[in-house]
Amino acid sequence: MALQERTRDTAPIAVPDTTAEWRGGSIRAQLWVLTGRQIRSMYGDTRLALFSLLQPLIMLLLLSEIFGSMANRDDFPHGVRYIDYLVPALLVTTGIGSAQGAGVGLVKDMDNGIVARFRVLPTRLPLVLVARSLADLLRVFTELLVLLACGTVFFGFRPSGGVLGTAAALLLTVFVIWSLIWCFIALAAWLRSVEVMSSIAVLVMFPLMFASSAFVPLKGLPEWLQVVAKVNPVTYAVDGSRRLALGWDLGLGVVGALGTSAVLLALAGFVAAKCFQRAPNA
Amino acid sequence: MIEAAGVCKSFGDVHALNGVDIEVARGKVLGLLGHNGAGKTTLVNILSTVSPPTAGTVRVAGYDVTTQGAAVRARIGVTGQFASVDEYLSGYGNLVLIARLLGAGRRQAAARATELLELFRLTEAAKQPSRTYSGGMRRRLDLAASLVGRPDVLFLDEPTTGLDPTTRIALWETVEGLVADGTTVLLTTQYLDEADRLADWITVLSKGRVIASGTSGRLKAELGSRAVHAALTPDSDLSAATGALAAAGFQPRPDPERHALSTPVDTSADIAAVVRALDTVGAELVELTVKEPSLDDVYLALTQSPTALAGAA
Ligand SMILES: Nc1ncnc2c1ncn2[C@@H]1O[C@H](COP(=O)(O)OP(=O)(O)OP(=O)(O)O)[C@@H](O)[C@H]1O
Ligand SMILES: [Mg+2]
Repeated sequence: MALQERTRDTAPIAVPDTTAEWRGGSIRAQLWVLTGRQIRSMYGDTRLALFSLLQPLIMLLLLSEIFGSMANRDDFPHGVRYIDYLVPALLVTTGIGSAQGAGVGLVKDMDNGIVARFRVLPTRLPLVLVARSLADLLRVFTELLVLLACGTVFFGFRPSGGVLGTAAALLLTVFVIWSLIWCFIALAAWLRSVEVMSSIAVLVMFPLMFASSAFVPLKGLPEWLQVVAKVNPVTYAVDGSRRLALGWDLGLGVVGALGTSAVLLALAGFVAAKCFQRAPNA
Repeated sequence: MIEAAGVCKSFGDVHALNGVDIEVARGKVLGLLGHNGAGKTTLVNILSTVSPPTAGTVRVAGYDVTTQGAAVRARIGVTGQFASVDEYLSGYGNLVLIARLLGAGRRQAAARATELLELFRLTEAAKQPSRTYSGGMRRRLDLAASLVGRPDVLFLDEPTTGLDPTTRIALWETVEGLVADGTTVLLTTQYLDEADRLADWITVLSKGRVIASGTSGRLKAELGSRAVHAALTPDSDLSAATGALAAAGFQPRPDPERHALSTPVDTSADIAAVVRALDTVGAELVELTVKEPSLDDVYLALTQSPTALAGAA
């Protein structure tokens, strides 16, 4: 009855019809659009971008001052300057620090209403995570480039591996960091809380960084830390990066780093996609 | 376009839905009413593939929501209870993003965004980040976002909550326009006038069950009541008047504070009978009003007395 009583003093507003049917873009198109959105929102906050670039510089300054005298010790590799020893490792540790940001970023993203929108669009949800990881990887890559540039210009970083060796070290690091970014993404998709994320990140990060050969040779560590450092994937990553940059023979470092990262990547990717698929209100 | 049978949803011990059946034909509007926590949003989430049902089968636009989710999502539009847009993107940016994800090219997406912004009167704020929008603007942007893909089925979860009257009416007109073009709509609301105006069919949920459904006219006829309200002059005897109406077979409710009484009536002849009965005890009237049945009555009758349900369910 209400129907018949309906009065229409205005003509119904027709939604204009200009396009053919859209039933969901291709994987490539969706990934492109989603990654673009992530990158744009990342550099939307220039303060964040600035501070994340400052961080590696401060580390560079502090560490080269604090541990600089290491190079005079007997157990330090002979004929290697500390800065050349430090920078390849700093690539890895700086990357780990930034990888953490991916987790916090994803939790924030999940609080942003747009993810609820993605869930009712024909969007392939794992692509949202891939986009996140690629954008974060770009951010880390930029930071590492800045680190290398500053190390070269202000601190006289001239590794014996040359430009090629350094580039290889950078690529290896980027791959390792990508797998760590996925670990943090998986944690975020599972925990869905910035606070829990940050505390876990600290819990995981510092032992990873310091119980490794990153800043001092393994032999310089106390005995029990040496044991931890030997099973620490960061040790492999640092070792691989250092060997590439310094032009040493590759040993197990590079293969170990690639292997552990690939396994980590597959595992974390699976967990992340699984956890993210479930809506918070499902 | 929407067929749900025996839909159940449990969150641990909370049984949010207990066997809900609904059906909406193409181009029709279903109004879903229910108090807070009745299960409206839960049902919308299931119909829009966001959350899987614990039991039951659901088909939307011809596809099963659990096994053919992507096909369903390609054909629906959802405006949830809470705005789902990117706060950091502009209104324009949001709409373009959604169009691109749906498969539109760059230029098509831009054109679609522009026309929707115009339709929802957001053109001026188009380039500002949506977090700077007022509540009503964000709601409109949300609605625009759910229309980008020209959905066959539209879900609106309390779409006009927090909107000013002008915007509400404009939104109603937009929905009516979409329906005229063949869009199927499921709308949840707390406002009975909204359901009355937009819905072809009304379903009332309570504690996860359908407790009544029908056209708004039928629900009103069965559950709503017409009432006569009589205000008496100060020197008329209220209790005598109440007695006279009771004697005439009515169920009068006296209101001593206002020196008035009201009684449910069925036919127009009853109204005359009320006046005559009052006349027999010499009660003089200050005012006599007849209240037509409204959905509010239906809703109150349903949600307050469980015995009233049997007839309408
Ligand atoms: N994710 C969840 N976990 C546990 N319980 C839930 C969850 N989502 C909903 N519920 C419960 O299910 C019931 C129905 O909730 P729902 O959100 O569907 O109500 P509603 O009818 O939309 O209410 P409102 O009018 O307040 O929006 C409530 O009792 C609620 O507490
Ligand atoms: Mg709700």
